[in-house]
Amino acid sequence: MSKQTCCSQANSCMSSETTFSADDLDLSLDDKDNTASPLIVNSYSQVYLKTESERLLLVLPAEEEMVLNMPWSEVWQELKHRLQAREQSWQAGTAVSLLAKDQLLDVRQLQTIAETLSEVNLCLEKVCTSRRQTAVAAATAGYSVEQKAVDVTLNEPSEGKTQALSLADPLYLQNTVRSGVEVRHPGTVVVLGDLNPGGIIIAAGDIFIWGRLRGIAHAGAQGNRQSRILALQMEPTQLRIANVVARAPKVPPKSFESEIAYIASEGIRLSQASDFAKTHSFSEEVGGWADSPPTNNK
Amino acid sequence: MSRIIVVTSGKGGVGKTTVTSNLGAAIAQLGRTVALIDADFGLRNLDILLGLEERVVYTALDVLSGECRLAQALVKDKRIKGLVLLPAAQNRNKESVQPEQMKKITSALTKGYDYILIDSPAGIEMGFRNAIAAATEAIIVTTPEVAAVRDADRVIGLLEAEGIHNIRLIINRVRPEMVQTNKMMSVEDVLELLAVPLVGVIPDDEKVIVATNKGEPLVIAEDYSLPALSFTNIARRLEGEKVPFMDLMAEQNNILTRIRRIFGG
Repeated sequence: MSKQTCCSQANSCMSSETTFSADDLDLSLDDKDNTASPLIVNSYSQVYLKTESERLLLVLPAEEEMVLNMPWSEVWQELKHRLQAREQSWQAGTAVSLLAKDQLLDVRQLQTIAETLSEVNLCLEKVCTSRRQTAVAAATAGYSVEQKAVDVTLNEPSEGKTQALSLADPLYLQNTVRSGVEVRHPGTVVVLGDLNPGGIIIAAGDIFIWGRLRGIAHAGAQGNRQSRILALQMEPTQLRIANVVARAPKVPPKSFESEIAYIASEGIRLSQASDFAKTHSFSEEVGGWADSPPTNNK
Repeated sequence: MSRIIVVTSGKGGVGKTTVTSNLGAAIAQLGRTVALIDADFGLRNLDILLGLEERVVYTALDVLSGECRLAQALVKDKRIKGLVLLPAAQNRNKESVQPEQMKKITSALTKGYDYILIDSPAGIEMGFRNAIAAATEAIIVTTPEVAAVRDADRVIGLLEAEGIHNIRLIINRVRPEMVQTNKMMSVEDVLELLAVPLVGVIPDDEKVIVATNKGEPLVIAEDYSLPALSFTNIARRLEGEKVPFMDLMAEQNNILTRIRRIFGG
């Protein structure tokens, strides 16, 4: 059963701001047309860790993918956040391959990366890059180097053009996403902790917050209206699914139980999470979830 | 092994400098040696709050440029044994110092002092980076206001990313009567959001303003006040003592206020 009371106000404000698109947000600093990807999650635009067979891959964003040309200090900051969030999800001493793509890294930056990795008991072993200077720097610093042309970096899912037909592996974060932290991931995000006000999670898939959701969560950022946001305690600043935005009711409900946010015909709605799967099914015609028993399997 | 603690908050005006000066004085009173570093280059205040302004001759920048020795720049507080201040330069800005240089100064001070408290400037830019560069522990100062707590949250995230995990929280300027009537965030509300251990709660008190203007830390003032007691308690907690938290709400539960509440006062 949908909880009308809880979401009524969220719905009422929907009317004023039902959809947003990249054009609304982007007050055109340049007139690049990026309507195809409302917000940038279509590729590994952030520092990203990935396990592959026995190895751990540390993927840096390619230069063109970087949002607003993030300075190195922020890339590094992000790396630290990611590492700390994932700590203990690997064995001590695991070897790491750095996929630097076309990032220009000097010896010092490579050393900082290696030091940061060693703080969480990982050791940098190999650097894969498409830039000659980076390769030289890596060789100087004593790492094994693999220099490749741009697009064939290991067997990472071919990014960019074949946009996310399959999502990336879920990202599992074991810490609280605090104010000022922005997590972007081309797949589902699971947080074991809170999403504090001022923090943002943008995921191409679903978002699960095993804690309190108080910041901004954007599921289905590539336009998937089936995506859902689930939290043990839902007090969001804002919820976004695909291209729909909703604010939380001004007066928080008295008692909190785990809730799930999804797109229904009238906008984003909240419902009790425990029986959502039984009582709701996605309907393609409506482009949202309807609370009827499934008529056809999907 | 001396402890290097940065006092920071993100938001300005929540009481970083007040906390640094009083906490420094309180720790010194417990018999420890304390060096306070003003890391707010260009907007230095710590010397004023300590009443040491007119005794500042050299600053941290003079030490770095080699114009004086570190020992010459340190201003001793004559009222409290073991408390010294390393003043910041007033005529320069925050970009004139590098994190490496802060580390150098701090490590030199560790040789002579048990505690090194670094008073961080507001914000999260270069000045903040300098202030936290050498620290191994942090004290976050916040007031029970949404904006202050939000900034504190951001700063905690930044500190954790920098590998400073020993973070403790001071909630400043709590007004029990407002918490009681639900007009102010309670200590519990703040803790629930920030999820770092609490080391002290300081009640709002006019005496704090008077003391800062007089340049005299509360803990050495003649009439001992509730905030002064809070600072002493925080100092003892930092020393590892188990000191129960003061029940600030107790005063709100006397007969008079209860009756007033009943009649909607």
